[in-house]
Amino acid sequence: MSSPTPTITINGVRRPFSPGQTILQVANAAGVEVPQYCYHDGLSVVASCRICLCEVWSPNPRTGALEPFMGGKLVPSCQQTASDGMVVHTDSPKAVANQKAVMEYLLINHPLDCPVCDQSGECFLQDYSYQYGRGVSRFQEEKVKQPKKDLGNHVLLYSDRCIMCTRCVRFTREVTGTGELMVMGRGNKEEIDVFPGIPINNELSGNVIDLCPVGALLDKDFLFQQRVWYLKETPSIDPITASGDNIWIHHNEGKIHRVKPRENPRVNKWWITDEVRYGWKFVHSADRLGAPARKQYGYPAQSDFPRAYEIAVAGLRRAVEDGGRVALLASPMIACEEAYLLAQVVREIDREAVLAVGPVPVKGSDRVYPPGASEDDPRAFKVHAEKAPNARGVRRVLEALAGPGQVLDFEAFLRAMGKGTGSSGVRAALVTGNYPSAWTTPELLGCLGGKFIVAIDTLAGPHVDAADISLPAATFAEKSGTFENARGMIQSFERALTAFEGARPEGQIAFDLLHLIACGGEYERAGATRPEVYDAADIRSRMAAEHETLGVFASAVGHPAPRPQARPDMRLVEI
Amino acid sequence: MAIPANQITNVNPSPLNRLESAYLPEIFKGFGTTMRHFFTSFGQGPTSRTMQYPEERRENLPVEEGGINASNFRGVHRLNRDEDGRVRCVACMMCPTICPARCIHIEAAEAPWDDREKYPKKFEIDELRCIFCGMCEEACPVDAIELTTEYDIVGLSRQEMVFDKEKLLHIHDLTIGKKPM
Repeated sequence: MSSPTPTITINGVRRPFSPGQTILQVANAAGVEVPQYCYHDGLSVVASCRICLCEVWSPNPRTGALEPFMGGKLVPSCQQTASDGMVVHTDSPKAVANQKAVMEYLLINHPLDCPVCDQSGECFLQDYSYQYGRGVSRFQEEKVKQPKKDLGNHVLLYSDRCIMCTRCVRFTREVTGTGELMVMGRGNKEEIDVFPGIPINNELSGNVIDLCPVGALLDKDFLFQQRVWYLKETPSIDPITASGDNIWIHHNEGKIHRVKPRENPRVNKWWITDEVRYGWKFVHSADRLGAPARKQYGYPAQSDFPRAYEIAVAGLRRAVEDGGRVALLASPMIACEEAYLLAQVVREIDREAVLAVGPVPVKGSDRVYPPGASEDDPRAFKVHAEKAPNARGVRRVLEALAGPGQVLDFEAFLRAMGKGTGSSGVRAALVTGNYPSAWTTPELLGCLGGKFIVAIDTLAGPHVDAADISLPAATFAEKSGTFENARGMIQSFERALTAFEGARPEGQIAFDLLHLIACGGEYERAGATRPEVYDAADIRSRMAAEHETLGVFASAVGHPAPRPQARPDMRLVEI
Repeated sequence: MAIPANQITNVNPSPLNRLESAYLPEIFKGFGTTMRHFFTSFGQGPTSRTMQYPEERRENLPVEEGGINASNFRGVHRLNRDEDGRVRCVACMMCPTICPARCIHIEAAEAPWDDREKYPKKFEIDELRCIFCGMCEEACPVDAIELTTEYDIVGLSRQEMVFDKEKLLHIHDLTIGKKPM
């Protein structure tokens, strides 16, 4: 009686599945809500929370008649593999009675401190208590009080909120392989803890906070900062390492409050490193540049965009008229689209401009978690030593313009600028930064001396002070674009915040400069027309249309998955 | 939906008699009521409805005569103190969440006390934006924010009308006798 593709029936609807899937996986994929605490796609199955138990009937292999599976006992749907013809009920009286009982049991010792708990609003215990629990507690006795523990640099544990799903313990054992966390004690004295003297400080420690379905593991950095229902989320891409991890930027009123991993099975799975999680701080740094500056009597003086643009274009042109070359140092921190536009700016002024990719910071060596796993292991998580999100993308774009092999790396750029020899054909350079911390080297500063320098950067630094013109740029959160990660995957990100006051995205600065060049370099004459507005999607299609080698920007860009439709959390009540 | 016929009453005014149709007598009859009230309410006359504010105040009047019912009057806010004199608020942000005028601004921090997790480092209510709807009072899980019977709040600048935590706690000290928690 089995059909070609096996199916199971969940709550009266037939769902096809691939062999090996568990009932819960089929239900999750089909969008049928089954309550679950301890189950996580990225971790092993322990079936310990017992709230996903459901009633299962399976066909008798001899007669084909439906019979209660396992003698009619409730079955943990996270552990039971689906088999053809099964009939599953998650809303039968028996299953509902279990859900109610489990909720009551979990809430026995759970403190009623939702008002001060950072998890409330995104807490599974809250949601399921509302949907599956009972309205009142029958528990009369004293609740067990457990201590608040400091587990590591980023993680705080409120033991009495824990429901012992052991997701965090399994994470440190299976994903990081470091095994810092353990379960201590038994029964109602059971608690999560670290081994004495060994805090949880591995590179992925922040993920246990996301894994915790309740408010037991909390982020020290985010503690008491915002209630989660105020946060808006924008899909983005890891802006400081080459891994291209998919992230959510959680922000409110123009300020980032935290970064969470965005699930992408092909890149970062469900995790991100702590470096990415807490690496957004430079966006709100006190050193952000907020106004263009031009050099007067050897010192930078605050200016405005029209005047700065005029001086920049005039200075770059003069360098060419004097018989010199113009160079572009495109930082690996900027988006592909912006590198394309900036390269067009310098090539508009100097057809044979020197194009170079900025310094690519490397910290340590690549690491794979769990230690000893091979990179191809589907469970392995790789931390890249290369700390720039877009070195490959910038190079790809510049090479499409200048020809393969014509794009210099940072060392070659320094030599072209006259490092060592002291003489160079380059008379002017456009330098972009956007690094999260100080990045200039003494050699670079030495090479920049004596040339006309336009610096486009987000944070103040010696090269900004030394530049003839400095233009304030926008960080990754304030613009859209694409990054190409270490594995050659091009992924787009969206703008989360409005640009820092006074700053503009590099792409917009490039458009403004192109417009000014087209208008003869005089802002007054350019007044009647307006420069184009930077929009990453437009430029991607333009890049693909103008250069055959950039066709990937039309065909192979990974976009954020469309958001699942939000379900109303209250049923409609007939009045 | 149409109104059922049995609920419709036709009112046919009786035709005017000769005196009524003379117009002027009816006019003076109508003015009579106006003039009677004018003369009897003059000054502090018997039909006067004017309250002599600020000599006479609403809190001193019975509710039937326009006085304040202290238990549900919605005046300026106060932040209640607990038994130890600390601010009761736990900075759960329920009031700024529910506030339709968005006039409450709270900054939370870790509480300096052992028995509490969280407390408001900063608690500000913009009394000029506030519409005194009382939703904050409804939302508060710890009875920390309450509306008092004080209604005559004044200030010389907008900034002065943004009440901070100290001021709101001070209002508690001033009004706790009048309106117990």
